[in-house]
Amino acid sequence: MVDREKATEQVYQPAEDSHLLAETTAEQVANLEADARVVDVGTGSGYVAATVAEATGVDVLGVDISPLAVREARDHGVTAVRSNLLDGLAGPFDAVTFNPPYLPTDPDAEWDDWMEYALSGGPDGRRAIDPFLDDLPRVLAPAGRGFLLVSSLTDVEAVSERAAANGLATRELAEESFPFERLVVLELTHAE
Amino acid sequence: MKESLMDILCCPLDKQDLELEVVRRDDDEILDGRLVCTECGEEYPIEEGIPNLLPPDMREETPA
Repeated sequence: MVDREKATEQVYQPAEDSHLLAETTAEQVANLEADARVVDVGTGSGYVAATVAEATGVDVLGVDISPLAVREARDHGVTAVRSNLLDGLAGPFDAVTFNPPYLPTDPDAEWDDWMEYALSGGPDGRRAIDPFLDDLPRVLAPAGRGFLLVSSLTDVEAVSERAAANGLATRELAEESFPFERLVVLELTHAE
Repeated sequence: MKESLMDILCCPLDKQDLELEVVRRDDDEILDGRLVCTECGEEYPIEEGIPNLLPPDMREETPA
């Protein structure tokens, strides 16, 4: 059993990407009904889920593959479920948020612990993004909206193409530039 | 987990409905128990209020 202090070091803590996703989503879903269904995928510490919940009054579900993350999210008052991406969820959801691991990484030098897993996007940075996009249409309500944080390091164009191949329309809702990357919040909706 | 979650969870393997078996609960939620797939019979534990919907081969405490 991992102790609590060590556990926190192994769970991704809120950073610029989390803030951009949380604030953008909270603004965009401000008008959701109180009984709307919202899920935060890869919730980590639960920051995005808690921020959106606080801003909207909607109960936001947080899912994560890491046992340490779901415990920490629950400690932060987030309803937590352990699941790999959307695998254990039936939906339908009115909003789905995801701040994925997106740093392109050398396959030989990763996955040693939960923190690396939370950061590593595999060789092209899309190890978690691609299966998420493939499964999102299944759980997204007809008028539901996905909010995906993408970095220029991950190739925003490639992400949009994968979304389109799954019948999803994309639109840039917000962006923020940093010295080595540009962060974008992509909206994902069922294409007409 | 709150019982209302049952509406939006499914078996990660075949996406079928789950049946709730409660072992321990308080006024708000289920603390320990299991979720059983109504189709394939696979069981998913609920521990300390958190349902674990990872398939059996992904349940280890360390990353792959």
